Amino acid sequence: MTRIPLAGTVLRGAVSTALIASLMSVSARAAPPVDVSKWSSEYVRSIAGTKDFDTAADCAKVTPLDYKGRLTFWYQGVFEGDPDLLRQYYKDFFATFRKTYPNIQLEEQALTYNDLLDKFRTALLGNAGPMVVRLQILGGVEFASKGYLQELKPEDVGYSTEDFWPGAMKSDTWKSKTYGIPTNNETMAFIWNADVFKRAGLDPEKAPATWDDVVKYSKQIHDKLGISGYGLVARKNAGNTPYRFLPQLWGYGGGVFDEATQHPTYGQIELNSAASKQALQASYDMYVRDKSVPVSALTNQQADNQPLFLAGQLGMMISHPSDYDVMQDLKKKATGSDLLKAQTAIDNMRYGLIPTGPDGKRAVVFGGSNIHILKPEYVDGGKVDQAAAKALICFWTGPEWSLKMAYAGSNPGNLNGFKTKWMKERLETTKFLDVSTSMLPYGVPFPAIPETPEIMNIVVPDMLQNALTGTMTVNQAAEDAAKKVKSIMTGGSL
Amino acid sequence: MTSMTNRVAPRKGKPLDVWRWVGRIFLVLMLLYTAVPMIWMLLTSIKSGFAAMQFPPQWWPNEPTLASYQRLLDPTNSVGQDFLRFFWNSLFVSTATTILAVIVAVPAAYAFSRFEFPGRNFLFFAVLLRNMFPAVIFLVPLFILMRLLGLVNTHGSLILTYLTFGLPLAIWLLKGFYDNIPYQLEQAARIDGATRFKAFMLIVMPLSAPGIIATAIYSFIGAWNEYIFAYTFLNRNDKLTLPVGIQRFFSENTTDFPGLMAASFMMSLPVVVLFLLLQRYFVRALTEGAVKH
Repeated sequence: MTRIPLAGTVLRGAVSTALIASLMSVSARAAPPVDVSKWSSEYVRSIAGTKDFDTAADCAKVTPLDYKGRLTFWYQGVFEGDPDLLRQYYKDFFATFRKTYPNIQLEEQALTYNDLLDKFRTALLGNAGPMVVRLQILGGVEFASKGYLQELKPEDVGYSTEDFWPGAMKSDTWKSKTYGIPTNNETMAFIWNADVFKRAGLDPEKAPATWDDVVKYSKQIHDKLGISGYGLVARKNAGNTPYRFLPQLWGYGGGVFDEATQHPTYGQIELNSAASKQALQASYDMYVRDKSVPVSALTNQQADNQPLFLAGQLGMMISHPSDYDVMQDLKKKATGSDLLKAQTAIDNMRYGLIPTGPDGKRAVVFGGSNIHILKPEYVDGGKVDQAAAKALICFWTGPEWSLKMAYAGSNPGNLNGFKTKWMKERLETTKFLDVSTSMLPYGVPFPAIPETPEIMNIVVPDMLQNALTGTMTVNQAAEDAAKKVKSIMTGGSL
Repeated sequence: MTSMTNRVAPRKGKPLDVWRWVGRIFLVLMLLYTAVPMIWMLLTSIKSGFAAMQFPPQWWPNEPTLASYQRLLDPTNSVGQDFLRFFWNSLFVSTATTILAVIVAVPAAYAFSRFEFPGRNFLFFAVLLRNMFPAVIFLVPLFILMRLLGLVNTHGSLILTYLTFGLPLAIWLLKGFYDNIPYQLEQAARIDGATRFKAFMLIVMPLSAPGIIATAIYSFIGAWNEYIFAYTFLNRNDKLTLPVGIQRFFSENTTDFPGLMAASFMMSLPVVVLFLLLQRYFVRALTEGAVKH
């Protein structure tokens, strides 16, 4: 383990403690709309479809419906490869917003997952950002700490902080101030191919219980069938990598810091702890020792695993519930013998909880996106139309649209979304949704510090690559990564 | 007779034959190396999304379909609307860049070739200086400049940028061409009463047509394929160009391979057609301009 200088530790500890204390005090003030302590798939089913919401009426209290203004907005869009249903909801959202606020001139720009952050950073350097931006969960603290974002909390758009997951609110908080509102939150699940399991001599209806089982199953699948067992992802600078490695890291009891504990302080680097090394060793065993994962794992992201899984060439992977919808879409467009094969692939899909570590620890990345308002000086034109911005944010983060916009691949950021009729409909139509929602309480947010994107997108993949390519031993790779994190945290660079 | 018979007899076992076959095999391998990705692109574009993800791959699709092309070319759906708009934007930016590049490069190269003036060599190498640095280091400064000029989100920002990057090579290419045209031809025209401009238009321009065409093709291809500046300078859907638009086939967790391949195939068509029509000029310009007589 590597210690960070005392001053930094004390400061971060104080910030985190204050943050947690404030969250706890807020929780004590009023009963939350959804009781997350009771969370289970049965509970989610019991509250679905129990309440109606009127988005236009709610948002009219924030910004009058006849308000005249102009708004520029960037967001991670949905495109040709995304499920049709989700694309339709995005289209409906903007159409409904324009209909509800006919005098707000909205200029929205959809950007792809891999492009958004880089483009946004470049635009900020030229003071040419949009007024409102919706970023992946990692981005909020980074840009808030650099002073680009305005303070923004759910109460500013007519909602309450308790309407959102505490973990999600944490990703919008920097130095005890809130800079955004969650639009959607998700946790991934473990997916496996029942037919592959059966042919490899494994129980087709049972997911591996532990990460050690994953290593064992992966080897068995590879040895018996000659295909890849587990969909390891180790690409650098791709969000998919930390989303898949950190559940393993936390499961073994490791971490980057102490982010998986109940009250994280981010004061101590844990990447070189014995538990973290054990997690890295598991990846090493699969890639180097057993050769039971795709050889292209070092450059793979999840989109590369999906075709292998659907073609029956990959036994297990961590993924979104959206894979099921994507598969349904592919089936709809297939004909003849391809249609039959697609149906077989769907029939063989199984979803389960993410495996635990040796001590029964189960964890998954608490993912999602947040919406933010920029400071005027970083916006093209130097002005932010606050009322128009709040109208859009109220619309998106309300129970109705935060659910619809997350229909296929995520969950509503606003917990009241779980009470809507559309949630009930989702539970009836999206198979395995209850599995992925069951993972939500196991969600661990990424460390709420500005250095997180660099650590998650560069240091963690680098550590994996160093170990898996043999450039370093597992021990050296973990120590090297810890040293890099320490350097970043003390103001240095990689 | 005997000598003639000897001449046509097969040259058995001569080393020349071996090398000829080695050459042929090498050419076939090179042909495969360049053609197979294109063929694979075309075949993937006529598969369904599911078939494109099959492993082992379906070399020839079980159920060929033109659905991806129909979707891209149908202006009534959102995918088609976007694709056609991006295609048109790319065509406009590339054509405008090409025309402007030719208009600027032709007189500039002629001046460097024909006139003696103080600092000529320095200026000529100064023009080439920009090409000694990777384009990406100019990204943020150019973005800030475009913003100050009010050109962000306009095609003008791209045309200006592409000219900045394309002109040095275009001028260099054309200068080499003009250097090869004997000055005496112009002098003869001047003696016959032609002005310098007339001599340039009637004598030099026709002779330098291959060079101008090569410059035009070079400028067009450069602008047509450019991604990083288009991606940075344009923030509006209605302004995007094709290389940026094609990114949309990659989503967070999945890729629409048939759509991507169909769009890529259609994007490569104008360049392939242009090159096929004008390739003899292009090759001639590259070879003639490179050698000083």
